[in-house]
Amino acid sequence: MINIFYNEWKGFLRNKLFIFLTSFFVFSLFLVTYLSVLQNKKQIENQEDAHEYIRSQWDEIDSTNAHSAAHFGTFAFKPNTILNSLDEGINSVTGLVLRLEGHKQNDVAYSERSQSLEISKFGKFKPYLIFQFIIPLLLIFLSFNSYTSEVSSGRLKLLIVQGNNINKIVFGKIFTLYSISIILLIITIIIQSLFTFDEFSLDEMIRLFIFFLCYAFYYFIIISLTIFLSIVFKNNISSLSISLIIWLLWTIFLPKTIGNFTENLHNLPSRFELKEEMTNDRSKGIDGHNPSDKRRSELEKEVLKKYNVETVAQLPINFSGILLQADEEYGNKVWDKHFGRVHEILKKQKRTYQISGLINPFASLQSLSMASCGTDLIHHLDFLNASESYRRYFVEALNNEYTFVSTSGDNAYLSNNEFFRSINDFIYVSPKFSLFFHYYFLDALSLTIWILILIFSINYKLRKIVIQ
Amino acid sequence: MIKLKNICKSFDEKIVLNNLNIEVKSGEIYGLLGANGAGKSTTLNIILGFLNPESGEVRMTDNEDDLEINRDKIGYIPENVNLYPYLTGVENLDYFSRIAGMKFTKEQLKKFLLECGLNEVDFNKSISQYSKGMRQKVGIAIAYAKNAKIYLLDEPASGLDPLSSNELSTLLRKMSDKGASILMASHDIFRVRETCDKIGILKNGLLITEIFSNEVTSTELESIYLKYMKD
Repeated sequence: MINIFYNEWKGFLRNKLFIFLTSFFVFSLFLVTYLSVLQNKKQIENQEDAHEYIRSQWDEIDSTNAHSAAHFGTFAFKPNTILNSLDEGINSVTGLVLRLEGHKQNDVAYSERSQSLEISKFGKFKPYLIFQFIIPLLLIFLSFNSYTSEVSSGRLKLLIVQGNNINKIVFGKIFTLYSISIILLIITIIIQSLFTFDEFSLDEMIRLFIFFLCYAFYYFIIISLTIFLSIVFKNNISSLSISLIIWLLWTIFLPKTIGNFTENLHNLPSRFELKEEMTNDRSKGIDGHNPSDKRRSELEKEVLKKYNVETVAQLPINFSGILLQADEEYGNKVWDKHFGRVHEILKKQKRTYQISGLINPFASLQSLSMASCGTDLIHHLDFLNASESYRRYFVEALNNEYTFVSTSGDNAYLSNNEFFRSINDFIYVSPKFSLFFHYYFLDALSLTIWILILIFSINYKLRKIVIQ
Repeated sequence: MIKLKNICKSFDEKIVLNNLNIEVKSGEIYGLLGANGAGKSTTLNIILGFLNPESGEVRMTDNEDDLEINRDKIGYIPENVNLYPYLTGVENLDYFSRIAGMKFTKEQLKKFLLECGLNEVDFNKSISQYSKGMRQKVGIAIAYAKNAKIYLLDEPASGLDPLSSNELSTLLRKMSDKGASILMASHDIFRVRETCDKIGILKNGLLITEIFSNEVTSTELESIYLKYMKD
């Protein structure tokens, strides 16, 4: 097989068109990866500046009422990972900043189509677009006549008479073509590492390796499928046409169709419906700003009993703060109920979409590509949950200050700057890939199943071939 | 040696070879004459092991029990020797020899090509610049370097100019003199008469007659051939 590999490479290196195309691809990859790294670095810097500015605003806050500060709020920043430059995933749709404030949870714009349409649309020119759409095309064009040219020229017969086995010939060709794709992948990894090596953590190295593996698996599928089709159809034009049709199905038609199917299967409420339901549920809770509320009077009785006093004015604490926190906690339950449901539906949609990898390996590739770069839905939901936890800590700290430092009716009390500084900042660290791997097991399994089926099919077909 | 005994083969109920018996001894060149579709290529494919006969046996040794098709012993030269166009003559010979499990030095490779009649100036030219005759010589060199005991040639002279055809005959004679058994399928009566020791005429899968070439002239052979074809 090594002789075939060596000979095929010789053929490629002596082919001017191949040299031109490969040089073009290598140059494009270099340029796109380099520019993406620069763009990403700039984005990270801008985000860090914005984060710093927001925090400095908070740190420099003058003495003010803690409840007013809760309304002033803060921002949660989803940090761009270094690998965001390779595949920005759903970040371009969901955004990276979330406003955090008292009384309400600001949702990131989830529309029903946020997942599936993002997958199939062309966004910024990032390396993943070359990897997912252009390199497979190059591989199809290099593979479609690799086997048939040996048959039509009669060389296959000569090679077999010389003692070669047809399986060795076909798999020798597959591995040669595969090595081209691996070289293109390695070039990108090197460029990516070259400009960001000092910033790599162990987890990011693992993620980069997963990124490499998922594309390596997918390219093997593309090459072996194209060669398998050329064995079946024994004709260059047929094998090229069918391969291109499959490429179109996988990359454009199926993602949209399956995306729409998953949306119908696991239907998300519209933003209007969600808001209405949440407002309705919220109205059943304590209204911290409405003194005539029934639940409020029940809470008041409870607190007066706890402090063993007759009136709110006698309380050593500020009852308004207790009310605000109770209102907040009720709101949290409403959020957990509704957004918990939305998050579950989104996860179900993702799961269903991942299952489609069994018929469309491109879906598995996309999922693993975004996952390895930390830019998929699962990572995004983790960020949302972390920022909501922080929002609760943040608002509770302000409500407690308001409750325990001032007394009822003392609305003029102002918390000092030292208190505001004591509230921790929100620092989000992307979770380790190993913690999330179970979400992507199905994707890895689908790609592996595809490879095994193709190897088996090629072997089976070759056993049936009659050479004349 | 090559011995075909009672070989029968049919495709979709059409009989292609009907009880074919041929023996090519060591050092002998056998010419299989016949029109298109007579069963010449099917015969070669059966010897090469690409097709299985429905009945009969193929032997390559004197051992009656050895019915194995051993491709290591066979050198095959197709009608059109399509080699790798991006490789030179030497490189093609080197590649096909390596596949056969043989490694030669550059000097040895050149010697094979020289012995097969290729001019030294052409050794390092890319195959895309070769004429059909030159490619045929490289094809023969591939089989020769393999140290084949059996040579199967499918229409080897087709498309060759008279000089190249003559060179081919000389080359085949040289190899048969070294003990090789050569079976050559062709419909070129003159070339078969000039090159072969024994000639078999195949019609519709049936071996009609066998003639020793030294017993007939080319004109006589042509008359015999035409007579059988018209019958």
